Amino acid sequence: MSLIECRALTKVYRKGSQQITPLRDLDLDVDAGDFLALMGPSGSGKTTLLNLISGIDRPTSGSLRVDGVELSGMSRSRLADWRARHVGYIFQLYHLVPVLTAYENVELPLLLQRMPRRERHNRVAAALDLVGIADRHNHFPRQLSGGQEQRVAIARAIVTDPTIIVADEPTGDLDRESARAVMELLRGLSTETGKTLIMVTHDPACASFARRTLHLDKGRLVESAAARTPVLREEAL
Amino acid sequence: MLDARFIPLVFKQVIRHRTRSALTMGGVATVMFLFIAIQTIQDGVRRATERSSRDATLIVFRENRYCPATSRLPQRYEERIAGIPGVVDVIPMQIVVNNCRASLDVVTFRGVRPRDLDALAAHWECVEGSMDAWLKRSDAALVGEVLARRRGLSAGDAFDSSGVSVVVAGIIRSTQPQDQNVAYVHLEFLQRSALRAGVGEVTQFEVRVEDPSRIEEVAKAIDAEFSTDVEPTATRPEKEFVARAARDVMEMVGFTRWLALGCLAAAVALVANSVVLSVRDRVREHAVLQTLGFRSGLIARLIVGESFLLALMGGAVGAVGAFALVQFGNFSLSVEGLSIGIRPELRSILFGWLVSGAAGLIAGLAPALRASRREIAACFRAV
Repeated sequence: MSLIECRALTKVYRKGSQQITPLRDLDLDVDAGDFLALMGPSGSGKTTLLNLISGIDRPTSGSLRVDGVELSGMSRSRLADWRARHVGYIFQLYHLVPVLTAYENVELPLLLQRMPRRERHNRVAAALDLVGIADRHNHFPRQLSGGQEQRVAIARAIVTDPTIIVADEPTGDLDRESARAVMELLRGLSTETGKTLIMVTHDPACASFARRTLHLDKGRLVESAAARTPVLREEAL
Repeated sequence: MLDARFIPLVFKQVIRHRTRSALTMGGVATVMFLFIAIQTIQDGVRRATERSSRDATLIVFRENRYCPATSRLPQRYEERIAGIPGVVDVIPMQIVVNNCRASLDVVTFRGVRPRDLDALAAHWECVEGSMDAWLKRSDAALVGEVLARRRGLSAGDAFDSSGVSVVVAGIIRSTQPQDQNVAYVHLEFLQRSALRAGVGEVTQFEVRVEDPSRIEEVAKAIDAEFSTDVEPTATRPEKEFVARAARDVMEMVGFTRWLALGCLAAAVALVANSVVLSVRDRVREHAVLQTLGFRSGLIARLIVGESFLLALMGGAVGAVGAFALVQFGNFSLSVEGLSIGIRPELRSILFGWLVSGAAGLIAGLAPALRASRREIAACFRAV
């Protein structure tokens, strides 16, 4: 059984008087431990699909099951609890809380789980160590480079040991060197910890780090291809 | 209620948004300073005018006279008053004030006989100089602590007001507001001072009754005794007498209630404005928190918590400021020679501080509710 099962997934929302359908009858299966890249032109529905899978948005129709749990009918509160336990989200613009230090930002999702302070500390320290930013734990986001901020954001996404990690253009705001380092970090998470990763990207070089790539256009999957020459394409970064 | 785990988060948001928090707290501190100062004045008026069942002092004044300068009663009334059943003792008193109207700087001379000093001094403590020094010198004055501080007087200093020149024999501290703002001098000395009524005339009698529950009955008996005399009397319990004399001041103070409510409204508006702007600036931050799994109700409680803390901290600064002003300003409202002491009361300060917290809670509700209703995806699309 797949970890993520989308069946006839459709999302419609209104923007002023306009009705927009970013996703239309989409079927998708993602296995546990997969590293999936979603590509496609702007407005193709990549981010919408990511938002639905991560439970920050709800489908208009269709079925979405993650680890056997149907998300489409969940209330906002239950969905929030589910996200806290099962999802780690990495944003393009990092979205760290500016008045909190790197350590405090990573600690945020753990505040939702009842655990002793000592354990919380150990988990945050381990996550910061894993992304190679432990020496900057006391720095505020404004004191970090873009690459370092994204590492902190990755630490925040993994600190709760979530079922899936989703990343929305995680290198979109980074220089080439930082982008490569972040992609290697994500691939490491996938291969070494067996985490399921779903990543939206415009950049084929980034997509080449994934185990497979799906293309979306106008809210539908148009092709599915495994990355055949990852080494060559990775070099583009 | 906000879980204890999230309280440090609220503190960090308030303390690390320094400029916003300082400006909001400054505004709240200013309006809460005004609110608490007004409360303190109202408390002073209430203390001076609210009668209690233990009150046992009557003031006998000339009927239809309202100012000490125009109330002239024969001193010989003393014996007839003392003969009325229920009266314990009678103290004739000459009063001279430098200003009959409502003022913050009135000097009131009270002329009393040396033999009445012990009865008056029951509520006193001589903090500087001595009562013996007063007894030995005819132009000596025992000065209330508040008046002494306001005029910068110490024992041995000479001072002059309303054409009366005296030497300070001692500074007294009293539990009675009326004693804090006056200078007690010898009755005969005051009666003989230039432009005063002659010897044998006093402004009023202070009468102590045996049974407080019979105070009205004794007052009526005194007025009945002199109703057919050339100088009829009007006798009232002391606090009622103060309330009647200070009626204008009380009306003014009553109006200040509206100012206090205005201060509260200003505090709510100020904090609400700050929180609304802050929430608007942090739409994405709240969306991120929701993405991490913070429920919308928790986001709302965090926002209300910030609003509450801002108001509470601003209120604390305002409360300390108001306390310092009233404590060290030595203010008293005086009218027709009567003083209404304005001194800080812990109860009022605490009340003001808690009210500021309540204002913060109210101010945070609407923006918190609004923020908690936002859809996460819509927030990311909007910014």
